[in-house]
Amino acid sequence: MDKPAKKTLHLKIALAIIFSALLPAALGLFIPLTPPFYILIGIGCSILSITFLFWTLKPLGQLIKNTREFAGGSLNIRADIRSGDEFEDVGTAFNLMVDKISKTLQQLETDRDVTVSEKNKLNEILTTLIDGIIAVDFNKNILLFNKSAQELTGFSETEVLGKPIDQVIHFFADQDEILSKTYCKENFNQTAKLIGKSGKQTRINLMSTQVDDQTQSHLSSVLMLHDLSREEELEQMKLDFVSMASHELKTPLTSIVGYLSVALNENKDKIPAESLQLLQKAFTSAQQLQTLIQNLLNVNKIERDKFTVSNESVDYLPILSKVVEDLRNQANQKNIVLTLKADNLQKVFADPIRIAEVLTNLVANAINYTNPGGKVEITTSVSPTELITTISDTGAGIPKEAISHLFTKFFRVSNLEQKGNKGTGLGLYISKSIVEKLRGKIWAESEEGHGSKFSFTLPLATQTAGFLDRNKFTAQAIQSGSLNY
Amino acid sequence: MNPTAKKILLVEDEDFIRELYAKQLTKAGFLVKEAIDGQSGLDTLKKEQFDLLLLDIMLPGMNGLQLLREFKTQNPNSKMITILLTNLGQEAVIKEGFELGAQAYLIKASYTPDQVVNEVKNALFGNQPPPPPAQ
Repeated sequence: MDKPAKKTLHLKIALAIIFSALLPAALGLFIPLTPPFYILIGIGCSILSITFLFWTLKPLGQLIKNTREFAGGSLNIRADIRSGDEFEDVGTAFNLMVDKISKTLQQLETDRDVTVSEKNKLNEILTTLIDGIIAVDFNKNILLFNKSAQELTGFSETEVLGKPIDQVIHFFADQDEILSKTYCKENFNQTAKLIGKSGKQTRINLMSTQVDDQTQSHLSSVLMLHDLSREEELEQMKLDFVSMASHELKTPLTSIVGYLSVALNENKDKIPAESLQLLQKAFTSAQQLQTLIQNLLNVNKIERDKFTVSNESVDYLPILSKVVEDLRNQANQKNIVLTLKADNLQKVFADPIRIAEVLTNLVANAINYTNPGGKVEITTSVSPTELITTISDTGAGIPKEAISHLFTKFFRVSNLEQKGNKGTGLGLYISKSIVEKLRGKIWAESEEGHGSKFSFTLPLATQTAGFLDRNKFTAQAIQSGSLNY
Repeated sequence: MNPTAKKILLVEDEDFIRELYAKQLTKAGFLVKEAIDGQSGLDTLKKEQFDLLLLDIMLPGMNGLQLLREFKTQNPNSKMITILLTNLGQEAVIKEGFELGAQAYLIKASYTPDQVVNEVKNALFGNQPPPPPAQ
């Protein structure tokens, strides 16, 4: 509420003027004065008035001093004017203004401190982030480049800020470059090769998010670069370890199998029947362990991409026949009829040892999963470019949900009777790898209660196919799918 | 001791396996000498003649391939048959073994001692019928 403005100063000035103007005149009225006296009295009154006015104006000097001090930075200055006139009002107003300004300044300082501390916090976070962070604006110029980005690319911040990202950093997927207009998109997330300063290469995962509100910050996209080399190193170490461990396991196992085999073969008559049985069971288990370890090693080789198959033109019928003969004993023991229907087979492209492994795996599975008295049949058919081998059985069949998982690692169909089946779940995974490396397909058809059919294809060794294969470039092109024949 | 019995040098560092193979080979009528590492194997080869070398590849110190290379350099005309023993099955290693003159390789874990003896007989005398499978 505004107080009515004082007019006291006006009054004081008026009085001073009246005093100095009228007093001599008033005196002259009552006392006869000669002009010299008049002048004297006039001068005297003026001097008095001036002195009175100067005294009245003292607060002004005080105010000027206070204002100057405040402007000079002493924020605690307060005017202390108690003259009871307009100067006191100015003093009060001055103090109010100073209070407000002080408060505002203090608030600004606090806000600024908070902002700086937040900025430092964010900077610290950005610096300690293991992933590289690069932020670009709408024109793809680099606005932010954290420490990890600097380490990954080899560039310092000053070398890249403000520059278009395509000019300094390159991303490649295999042989093709990925341009900024491609990766500065929401949901971009894929592995790439990062090429930084002086060709520095790193395998990374590149992920991008888009900034919604560009008006505030000028940021348009934020890229995250995740270094994969450590992960790939760890993965490789894991695979190498499994490989080493499996080989170590083979050594004592070889002894176990060796000694048991000799004991059983040579001392059959000297060992009581009961002990003999115990030893035989131990021997069977040891052999199964050998198969398991070999399977683990094969799977490990496949994962390490070191699993090789040779690819040659082979006579298929002898391979089929041998596998069937090798498994005939097992089939006979379960009273299962094992038949092979194949004749006049053309040559195929295959690895004779590996494809025998596949056949053994599929036929042995068929025998294991078929009840005594059942049938296992191996048949072949020919398409223009492929030979299809089918192993069918009259076993219990496979539930529909299981069929899509059959060829995955370690998968075993759980609800089937598995008397005498000591598989590991790796056989089909390895078989699939072999068939696919030989550029064939493998699949299963089955209905619960109605037996199963496992089939795979092998490329026929026709003349033209053979020629194409010998040409390394076309072979690679065929493999990559870019050239069909 | 049969004077015409074939002499075999068995170089294998795993005691159990070496003793087992030595025993079975001796029972089969061969004259068997044993060495537990590459260096002593090489030394034995320098002192005596052998008809067949059963050579483990993973040996402490000098490995089997190094032994073979040393031996071939010093005895390029030797008629000794070499069979490599290994549990590794790494193609590069086997290839190198064959290049150095080995005639065969066996993956120990896949062969029972009887089958190993059979392979030795095959190598020395030609085709042999396979031994009866272990029960």
